[in-house]
Amino acid sequence: MEEKQKKQRIGVYICHCGGNISDYVDVAKVKDLVKSEDGVIVSKNVMFACADSNQKEMIRDIQDENLDAIVVASCSPKLHLHTFRNVAMRGGINAYNYTQVNIREQCSWAHSDTPTEATLKAIGLIRAGITRVANSEALETIDVSSTRAVVVIGAGVSGMRAAIDLAKMGNQVYIVEKENQAGGNISQWGELFVSGQKGKDIVEELLRRVKAHTGITLFTNALIEKVSGSLGNFNTEVRIGDEILNLKSGAILVATGFDPYQPADGMFGYKQYPAVITLPEFKSMIDQNPEECLMIRNRRVTSITYIYCVGMRETKGDNKYCSRVCCTSAIHNSIRVHEKFSSINVYHVYRDMRTYGKQEILYEQASKNGDIFLRYDEKMPPVVEQIGGKLIVKVNDELTRKQEFEFETDLVVLVTGMVPRKDSPYLAGKLKIPVGNDKFYNEIHPKLRPVETVINGVFLGGACQGPKNISESVQSSLSAAVKINALTKNPKIQLEPIIARINFEACIWCGKCAEVCEYDAIHPLEMHGKTVASVNEATCKGCGICAPVCPADAIDIAQYTNAEIEGMIDGFVQIVELKKEGERAASEEVTAVAGMKDMPQIWRRISASLDNGTKTIPALARELELNPQLVTYHLMTMNKYSIVEADGLDDKDEYYFYKLKKQ
Amino acid sequence: MARIDPEFKSEIKKYGAKDFTACFNCGNCTAICSLTEKQVNFPRIFIRQGILGQKEEILKSKELWLCYACGDCSETCPRQAGPGDYMAALRRYAIAGYEPTGITKLIFKSNPVFIVVTTLLSIILGLFLFTLKTDHVVSRWLFDLFPYAVIHAMGLVIFSLTGVSIVWGVGKMSIRLSKKSTVATGKKNGIWNAIQKVILEFSTMNRYKTCEKEDDSYWKEKSAAVQPWFIHWSIMWGFLGLLLATVLDFMLKDPSTSIWWPARVLGTISGLFLIYGTSFAIRYRMNKVTMAYAETRLADWVFLWFLWIAGITGFWLEVSVAFGANYLINHVIFLVHTIISMELVLLFSFSKFAHAVYRPLALFFYFRESQAKN
Repeated sequence: MEEKQKKQRIGVYICHCGGNISDYVDVAKVKDLVKSEDGVIVSKNVMFACADSNQKEMIRDIQDENLDAIVVASCSPKLHLHTFRNVAMRGGINAYNYTQVNIREQCSWAHSDTPTEATLKAIGLIRAGITRVANSEALETIDVSSTRAVVVIGAGVSGMRAAIDLAKMGNQVYIVEKENQAGGNISQWGELFVSGQKGKDIVEELLRRVKAHTGITLFTNALIEKVSGSLGNFNTEVRIGDEILNLKSGAILVATGFDPYQPADGMFGYKQYPAVITLPEFKSMIDQNPEECLMIRNRRVTSITYIYCVGMRETKGDNKYCSRVCCTSAIHNSIRVHEKFSSINVYHVYRDMRTYGKQEILYEQASKNGDIFLRYDEKMPPVVEQIGGKLIVKVNDELTRKQEFEFETDLVVLVTGMVPRKDSPYLAGKLKIPVGNDKFYNEIHPKLRPVETVINGVFLGGACQGPKNISESVQSSLSAAVKINALTKNPKIQLEPIIARINFEACIWCGKCAEVCEYDAIHPLEMHGKTVASVNEATCKGCGICAPVCPADAIDIAQYTNAEIEGMIDGFVQIVELKKEGERAASEEVTAVAGMKDMPQIWRRISASLDNGTKTIPALARELELNPQLVTYHLMTMNKYSIVEADGLDDKDEYYFYKLKKQ
Repeated sequence: MARIDPEFKSEIKKYGAKDFTACFNCGNCTAICSLTEKQVNFPRIFIRQGILGQKEEILKSKELWLCYACGDCSETCPRQAGPGDYMAALRRYAIAGYEPTGITKLIFKSNPVFIVVTTLLSIILGLFLFTLKTDHVVSRWLFDLFPYAVIHAMGLVIFSLTGVSIVWGVGKMSIRLSKKSTVATGKKNGIWNAIQKVILEFSTMNRYKTCEKEDDSYWKEKSAAVQPWFIHWSIMWGFLGLLLATVLDFMLKDPSTSIWWPARVLGTISGLFLIYGTSFAIRYRMNKVTMAYAETRLADWVFLWFLWIAGITGFWLEVSVAFGANYLINHVIFLVHTIISMELVLLFSFSKFAHAVYRPLALFFYFRESQAKN
């Protein structure tokens, strides 16, 4: 690397934070000490660095004193990084020639019981900041042009609903649907909870709106062959029959939905006995049923048994999760059946009843209807047998002291949940999005970033991310739609320049960096007859994993260059001399040089006390006016480090005397 | 392997518990009940057994009869499933099952049947009374319509029926309850020991006193004199005292007109307690002061009102006898008093009244087996 021009005119602003910092860290002392550092022109204390007045002052200083870099020592960068970057820019210096030093969360607040040590640490941290910013480079944000189009994968309720809003907001939307009909899972469903609306009707309505909007193009029978590009400029290759289409978009929304769980043959008699069916099969059975009485295979149904948690919540199996929506669905269907045929006896053989939220009311309704609830433990599941044409169910009921009960039933409904689609690994491979432990697509953060993936520009909506009911699926896909629009509505997307950079002269293209990159951001490039590594600026996240593996040291990360990091370390570990002013004596006392790894204050007090003679712990506690437990803790630590040693027992043989160990 | 009977719960609902299937097994009812201990659990397990149709388990249990219907459980139930009312319904079901005739089942399940039976019975009793005083004006007119012998015989049959039924019921309950159950701790306590404990509970209502002691209980600030345990004590001992006084009268065949005669004194004081207790009980049920008094069925009303009427008419008679008044109204009152009292006795085995025998019996079996202190 060339020798970069170091910043020589640095302004340092040390914040009081209204007492949050200054109550513990001696900010005045820090300011004075820091003033004598290399390159520091201005060193000031401010009450609140983020306040308008102080911002203006910083800008004035930059202009009047011709500063070329600033250090703000205050709170965590999570709070005001952008505030002070803007200050730098308004003052006329590059936003990346400013560094934030956290002397609040990581200093004054963390060490509020040892102010002297806190002050020493603050000095170290600020010094590191100064050396870092001295070595900093001016960086510009990376601008990526954005295509005002979105590819939505999946024309189910989530995909279509998001597409409608995206189109309304001005995007060109391409919906890519694998099947020959749009609608997804819910187009098969009849009455839904809680509104009673039919799934078919909802799908019809959405399809009508999709077709009516000129901004949306729906492709059915469409298979995704390849996805390339990055945020702002994706290219999705879609095969429809013999044709290949290339769809250009700024972002991609994955709304592929779920598959219903298919029990294995023989599970609770599934496929073994004709009267054992799954919940989806039961739902379509009710929808197609004649009005007079409930029939299965031309036989009248007088009793129904629902067995819950089939294929889900298996502590030792594949699907460890709870599928969330099935309890409500089963209970809702039981109520529907009861409304029409109230003489049918109903048994719910469940593990836990998770009719959450407002759906709890349905559970109460089913209980009042006279449905019988039996609770089983995972270790003792119910047994379904066919004896003489009738199904017999046996279960150990947890609610009745684990007693075993048996009863007859005409129909067994296995309440099954949602599993990821069989083809989801295929799509995950094309988009390079990770899949979680439950095999559903993974979001970046379940609470704070639930609809984004680690691939910039690829978003998740609906049940493909995890089991959800329709309301939750639509919430998630709409949330993704808004986030996508926030990106695509700008003609240019600005990305942080904190990414990896390759020194093309040093690079020997061994391929190690490309191997370790999780985001597939490094590719070989032909340059002046040489193959070198090249970083895709839009895809690189600046994680830094490529830098240490490079054998030629040809990679560095912007803002984290070798010069900056080494400078920080040097700045931090220098020994600081503190002049302490005694309370009683008029003259100044110079204490022993306090290095960064010096003893805590209590140790010094204990040492001073023991200097005057050996003492026991209770005596020390009394003299120093400290809690004996605290004294014990510190004394034992000092003992471990051979600073003190035991010196015999006292008269009552209760406590040891301690003395300073001769070095 | 126990079989589930899904029809049982609809059968029980006919005896009074409408909402008990709303139960979702939280166990709050059992937790709040002051009469439950480690091995003695109710009412949740009963609701469970009711829903699953475990008839035998319910009928052979002693815990069913330990409940004092205080309503604490119903107050606490988050689903408003009325466990207290359900326990009462189960007891009605059990009483109906103990007697051999099946009359009780009809009475408890159908109000019209109850009214018809009671009315019919009063008429028969009235007629029977006239057979004892054949020279009365009305009697002579009656016996032109119905033969004296038939009515007299009918009356005797009815009396024997009730006697046999209660003996039968006692036998049936004893067999059922002496089967081993969950409260059994292995060693049986002595018979006399158990009897003593029963008598103690009779006299002091100590177990009943532990009920409804929550901080937000309706009875918290009220004096003992108005609390349910004392009301029950008054009714119970009022009745027993009157019974004893009547028996003494019958035995000594000399119903003295002096109110200072010992039997008379006993009768008067007991009568006062009876009226005190029944008046309060009726008032509580009318005003539905707590959930224990919120659901009152015809059988409950009839029982209380009959006792109250018997008490009031009894006092009226005592006063009129003391003053030697011989008006027609007093004859009518006497007739009413006698019919009502005899009806109570006759319906003893077929009504709520039967608890007076079944509860102490169950308590006896319970004390035989459990290590509880009281």
